Amino acid sequence: MNHSIILPFLVFFPMLGGIIGYIIGRKNKNARDYWAMLVTLLTFGASLLLIGKEEVFQEAGICGLGLLFAGGGLQVILAVLTGAIWLITTIYSKEYFQQDRNRNRYYLFMLLTEGATMGIFLSADFFTTFIFFEIMSFTSFVMVMHDETKEAIRAAHTYLAVAVLGGLVTLMGLFMLYQKTGTLQMDLLQQFMAQQTDKSAFYGIGVLVFFGFAAKAGLFPLHIWLPNAYTLAPAPASALLSCLLTKTGVFGIMMITAKIFFHDAPWGNFMLILGMITMLMGAILALFSINLKRTLACSSMSQIGFMMVGIAMQGVLGEHNALAASGTLLHFINHSMLKLVLFLSAGVVFMNLHELDLNKIKGFGRDKLLLKVVFLMALLGIGGIPLWNGYVSKTLLHESIVEYIHILEEAGQSVFYMKTVEYLFLFAGGLTLAYMTKIFVAVFVEKNSHPLPVQKQGAYLNPVNKVILALCALALPVCGMLPHLTQDRISAVGVTFLGAHAPDHAVEYFAWVNLKGAVISLIVGAAVYFLFVRTVLMRENEDGETVYLDRWPAWLNLEEKVYRPLLLGVLPFIGGFFARLAGTLTDGFISLLRMAIFNSDNARVIPPEDKYFSAYTDGETDKTVYREGFARSLLMIGIGLAIAMLYILI
Amino acid sequence: MNGNAILLFPLLFPVIAGIVIGFQKQEKQRNLLVFATLVIELGAVLYLSMGEYTFTLWQMTDRLALAYHTDGLAKLFACMICIIWLLAGIYAFEYMKHEQKPARFFMFYTMSLGALMSLCFSANMMTLYLSYEYMTLLTLPLVIHTGTPEAVRAGMKYLGYSVFGAGLGLMGFFFLNSYCDTTTFMPGGTLNLELLAGNENVLLAVYFLMMIGFGCKAGMFPLHAWLPTAHPVAPSPASAVLSGIITKGGVIAIIRVTYYLVGPDFIRGTWVQNTLLTLAIITVFMGSMLAYKEKLLKRRLAYSTVSQVSYVLFGLFLLHPLGFLGALMQVVFHAVAKNILFLGAGAIIYKTGKTFVYELKGLGKEMPIVMWTFAIASLSLIGIPPTAGFVSKWYLAQGGLQPDFGTLGLVGVAVLMVSALLTAGYLLPIVSAAFFPGKDFDYGSLKKKEPNYLMTVPLILLALAAVAFGAFPQCLTDWITNISGVIF
Repeated sequence: MNHSIILPFLVFFPMLGGIIGYIIGRKNKNARDYWAMLVTLLTFGASLLLIGKEEVFQEAGICGLGLLFAGGGLQVILAVLTGAIWLITTIYSKEYFQQDRNRNRYYLFMLLTEGATMGIFLSADFFTTFIFFEIMSFTSFVMVMHDETKEAIRAAHTYLAVAVLGGLVTLMGLFMLYQKTGTLQMDLLQQFMAQQTDKSAFYGIGVLVFFGFAAKAGLFPLHIWLPNAYTLAPAPASALLSCLLTKTGVFGIMMITAKIFFHDAPWGNFMLILGMITMLMGAILALFSINLKRTLACSSMSQIGFMMVGIAMQGVLGEHNALAASGTLLHFINHSMLKLVLFLSAGVVFMNLHELDLNKIKGFGRDKLLLKVVFLMALLGIGGIPLWNGYVSKTLLHESIVEYIHILEEAGQSVFYMKTVEYLFLFAGGLTLAYMTKIFVAVFVEKNSHPLPVQKQGAYLNPVNKVILALCALALPVCGMLPHLTQDRISAVGVTFLGAHAPDHAVEYFAWVNLKGAVISLIVGAAVYFLFVRTVLMRENEDGETVYLDRWPAWLNLEEKVYRPLLLGVLPFIGGFFARLAGTLTDGFISLLRMAIFNSDNARVIPPEDKYFSAYTDGETDKTVYREGFARSLLMIGIGLAIAMLYILI
Repeated sequence: MNGNAILLFPLLFPVIAGIVIGFQKQEKQRNLLVFATLVIELGAVLYLSMGEYTFTLWQMTDRLALAYHTDGLAKLFACMICIIWLLAGIYAFEYMKHEQKPARFFMFYTMSLGALMSLCFSANMMTLYLSYEYMTLLTLPLVIHTGTPEAVRAGMKYLGYSVFGAGLGLMGFFFLNSYCDTTTFMPGGTLNLELLAGNENVLLAVYFLMMIGFGCKAGMFPLHAWLPTAHPVAPSPASAVLSGIITKGGVIAIIRVTYYLVGPDFIRGTWVQNTLLTLAIITVFMGSMLAYKEKLLKRRLAYSTVSQVSYVLFGLFLLHPLGFLGALMQVVFHAVAKNILFLGAGAIIYKTGKTFVYELKGLGKEMPIVMWTFAIASLSLIGIPPTAGFVSKWYLAQGGLQPDFGTLGLVGVAVLMVSALLTAGYLLPIVSAAFFPGKDFDYGSLKKKEPNYLMTVPLILLALAAVAFGAFPQCLTDWITNISGVIF
């Protein structure tokens, strides 16, 4: 077994660096910031060393079953992605957190989270995945909590509650999986499952394992934590959450689908339904939102729905899943790049205005050309416009659906269901464009007669961060314009891990067949924006300015109306009732006995008949009972016994 | 009298030293004496753990004797108890400054260690029973130490329940005496099926009652009610060892009777096993639920003990090597975590006088070390990797999911998970409020309230243990596997 050094370094060095940084930070805050940058830079560098290698690291006995990391293909891509995004957000953080309290704490947990995230992405064993998954949930909780406003605390508590609940359900699933298969190593599981002819016994277990990852990925109906946590966390943390932490859930689901339910159609259909709901739900929530970061948060949810559709198609398509696999993988990566740019841009707005409400921040970006261009790049990318990177991955996902429709047609089966899926998919793509246009127009186009005072001293963004943002934004069209050079290569490295072969021929991204989908989405997007957003969700006030309206009905809130009352009210009440009943059973029985045996007179318990049958009295004589030598009598008994023992010995 | 009399040293030394300590008025000398006693005791136990010793103190009849023996199980418990006793003792030097009559406290604190050692090392049922009663009597003064009416009443409740429970055990002993070849503990049991012929159901019922009786000390439903009353009223270091260690006295007795006298084979698959598993599951849920509802911090921790010790019992009643492994790991890990929690709660009381869970806002800024260790212990109790609680839960669940237990095992594991969720529900809000008081919190009002090293060092050591055992459980797993290898 090849014992790699890089793999444990990637996982444990950031953690160690975080602790060292904490100690440095107590003395010197600037040094701590640069130290954090150095740590993330070194981690990024180390992750680059993995490229083109197959490394394995195993340490038996840790936490019981031992750790197993493997670097190769997919894991390397994810590790490099993690390293890069963490480096960028850390550099960006220095400016963002300038005026904040508790920065030392943030940096500590931010670096701990990096190690844990690396641990998840590099794991080759569900046991290892789970360990780092739990660590990550707890360390990232502190990042969400950072601002400590009332809303942030509430959002963070929801985040943690969902994470703990999800973690425990997943753990239950892992218990059962391990019990049934005797291993949690992904490769061995794949071999084991390949030999099973009847997988029906595993679906229940699969759903349990899936639960925690789905909660982390923000899938419906476990998405409740996501919009609030993303919105209320500081921008660099939101970026990390959206780009990587939520993706650990997607990663887990990918692993379950590729390793346990490989080419399994029922499982694929299950994923498809959840994916579709999440995709549409996220998009609709994003459309209604009037908060910049909330829109981006719901958009993340929607995009994860897109990835889920890709994962689902891998299962449904079976042998022909190459397109779906690379589509999923590329959308995973593209979405991370896009959301990095978007959340950091939103962070710029917040840094300056300390506000995210569209009606208040309106017009902030009118005179900031760089920010406008950067944001526009990301808009075009996430909207799936040809020549930007989002288009490539969305096309692949779309193609995989179309491919399945062809297969169904050839087999002579009904294609109605899959046609619906296809149109909903394109519709969700249109919604993406609509809500992105909505926030872009609000922040960068519209005028605001009452601009908020700028809270930040100096330029709205310092030069270093301007360069970083510009570079990140530049990468988006570059990836989109040269898909064969960039995207195809990445997917070729990664897809074998998902059990797909590289497609027979390169996909013609810019052929009319493929462009058609984008055009449909574009038309839908324009229609929704002009016919719905501008008419229903906006109105003009007396001064002739547009006002964004919050039309989302308050009663349509799964968290406030269902989960919280149920989990914090009803269930504890029922459980508490039975627990109290059980808890007081014996005491109640004893009181009954006392009532039957003793007479109570003036709060003194008096034995009724037998004067030799005595009981300790309640009431005023309590102290004397004790003072008059309970301890001493015990001591005397002890001494007596000791003497007796000595006598016997001698 | 035969065997090696050195085995008597750890049993008698603390008792004698305790008496001397009781008459020591000078605080400094007394503390030094207590410290020396606990260290020597730990050294002695560690020394004894290297070899295997047997010693018969008094052969009453050919079947009854006061005899001691150091087997793997005894060593595991003895080492754990001595280490934690030492740490909690160091902590108590500081804590007892604000309590009355520290001399009396330390006297009984040291003496009960002798009783516990006697319990660990006892080689037969009679010795075990005597030590068990001894332990109850010697720890009683710790419960009623404060002397308030509430404490005295709690003490009486403790005494009543314990004596009743031990009485059930004694009753069982009479029956076992006539059905077993010998009442000396043998791995795998000493039951003589020829003697038993025809009376199997009697013995099952008797065994069941014995488990209820000894389960009393471990806080098992239905004789759990004393625990949440008695533990919180004691001074914090005493609560810590009562919850963390003394409850494990019941566990020792249950292991000895189940695995060393009656034998797991006899009970496996009977109604008794199913009923006991059910009782353990009920206790797990009940304890967690009541803890979740409780607002007084120390009582919340006591309810948590009710729940957590029944994890151990669940594992033991599975009568499966994996369950046994998980159970004994849980014994150690719960002792560590619960000691941190109680000692932390004590430090809070000592420094701020706050006793309710909703008063602890912002405390993480005032006493960071205490609250950090509190957080780690909470994670361990919930079972979040890489802390220790995760490992024990892993093995318990693997035991519970063995195919032979069917639905009951599955329900049990599911309840363990629900209980873990409730544990998160009753511990994490405390940690969260302590560290994240909110934006409007008045930071100016904060003062440094970190207690001195006598309190923080034991807490830090225990917290390190909670993480180290979680990350590297190998040595403990091997040790326990050796013990269970002989039994099964």
